[in-house]
Amino acid sequence: MDILQEMSTLLQQGRAPKVKELVEQALEEGLSPKQILDEGLLSGMGIVGEKFKNNEVFVPEVLIAARAMNAGVEVLKPHLVKQGVESKGTVVLGTVKGDLHDIGKNLVKMMMEGKGLKVIDLGVDVAPSQFIESAKENNADIVACSALLTTTMGEMKEIVDKVKESDLSSVKVMIGGAPITQSYCDSIGADYYAADAATASDIALKICVG
Amino acid sequence: MTSIERISNILKRKPVDRIGIYEHFWSDTHTAYTESGHIGKEESFEDHFNLDLQECWAFNLKADLDFVPEVISETEETITMLDGNGAYLKRHKLHDTTPEHVDFTVKSRKEWEEYKPLLANVDERRINFQRYQERKEHARKNNRFFVWSGVNVFECMHPICGHENMLIGMALDPEWVMDMAATYADLTMSLMEILFSKEGKPDGIWFYEDMGFKGKPFMSPSMYEELIKPFHIKFIEYAHSMNLPVIMHSCGFVEPLLPKMIEAGIDCLQVIEVKAGMDLLRIHKNFGDRLSLMGGIDVRTLYSNDKAIIDKELESKIPIVKEGFGYALHSDHSIPKTVNYETLQYYIEKGLSLGKY
Repeated sequence: MDILQEMSTLLQQGRAPKVKELVEQALEEGLSPKQILDEGLLSGMGIVGEKFKNNEVFVPEVLIAARAMNAGVEVLKPHLVKQGVESKGTVVLGTVKGDLHDIGKNLVKMMMEGKGLKVIDLGVDVAPSQFIESAKENNADIVACSALLTTTMGEMKEIVDKVKESDLSSVKVMIGGAPITQSYCDSIGADYYAADAATASDIALKICVG
Repeated sequence: MTSIERISNILKRKPVDRIGIYEHFWSDTHTAYTESGHIGKEESFEDHFNLDLQECWAFNLKADLDFVPEVISETEETITMLDGNGAYLKRHKLHDTTPEHVDFTVKSRKEWEEYKPLLANVDERRINFQRYQERKEHARKNNRFFVWSGVNVFECMHPICGHENMLIGMALDPEWVMDMAATYADLTMSLMEILFSKEGKPDGIWFYEDMGFKGKPFMSPSMYEELIKPFHIKFIEYAHSMNLPVIMHSCGFVEPLLPKMIEAGIDCLQVIEVKAGMDLLRIHKNFGDRLSLMGGIDVRTLYSNDKAIIDKELESKIPIVKEGFGYALHSDHSIPKTVNYETLQYYIEKGLSLGKY
């Protein structure tokens, strides 16, 4: 089996130490860091994302695949920087103010990173102003907000309004979480609603690379 | 019919006078209704709305009972504490929510081995005998169906190691996860035996077991079957051996797990969370002959505080799910304070009126 194909397969199985070894081996064999990233790691994570969307795999399999991808990326990162390989886009992500849930947000982060996007994770209980400041600092393409509670989802409207009021006209606001629907997204004027983590990463990639 | 007779029959899908009624509330809802003068400070929702069930949460499953919780950091709005499970949890001080999992001492089998002996010790200090006694007596006086309530193995494990470590363990080290589940199952059943022999049995058992989130269960049906179902069977067989029916609560979308949960023996599924994708009518159609249901009324319709919206929700569901006698009215999660008191009263009256036989 081709080394990149093997890397992708092992990543899907969540075998982090083997993925790390194969990334090192691929670099030694002279493969370009970008090719290793795209055809080995991101390709594997992309398959996991699709399977997650189709209910062929569930959260445990996504978590171990993401861990394997991170193990590979750690080895690859200095080489990518050296060669000036840039991420496909930047997303500022967080759970809204008053809400301390993070499982859904973390899944979104893993899936987005699996698409080659840079994710600035602001954590949970994030105030609207923090989203705005971080989006400016990091020249973000997307502000992505998560909420699990019906009692906290109202915070999203303030984030949408603040993005519109600021000079972040090209930044898109994406929202998701258990109580969120497309009609809620429309009602507060957010740009995109994602029903699940895999869809969020698909939409984010589309926004960033077209 | 008394509530005991009604709920006993509903859990067996036998004829009743009306559907059952029960509800959960966010704690700040009680404060809001108290401040507005609708409910007494010491008055319970069960008494005020004459609900059919009374729960009692009597067990403390913290690993180290002697550990004094330590404040790690505090702001005006949040407090982060280290607890007896070795878990660092951040809680909101101003309103009710589940805590943020900041970090866990137990991340794998290695650290678990240090905590396991603490949980193997069946210490009676883990049981709140007084609370159980009082609630049981109060329920009996009011002819209310009394349930022992607590967590089952899936919900037992994440407080000690966090969801991510637990779910990663399920994929990479299933024996570790099964060892944790077995430890908690043994402890809980030993405590149940002590409590029930000293204070008497309840009318039923209520397990909290959140196994899903929006649109998906946390694990595949095959992983449920391999790692969790054996413990559900063990608990349910134990309950059934005492003639106690089992109500299992799960938030999130757990429909793919339902056939196997029914095989495990559950008598009733609660809470049927609409916003996670659960569909009360579909579940009633597919499983209503084998399973009683409680919940599935979209709480978002209640906090619209619009009678027409609430009517539509209730009229579209109650006449159908009451067929077969296996339904109890309950929202699809908990009532927030944004539901006006008058709205809640209207919802209960309307729901029960539609639910008469």
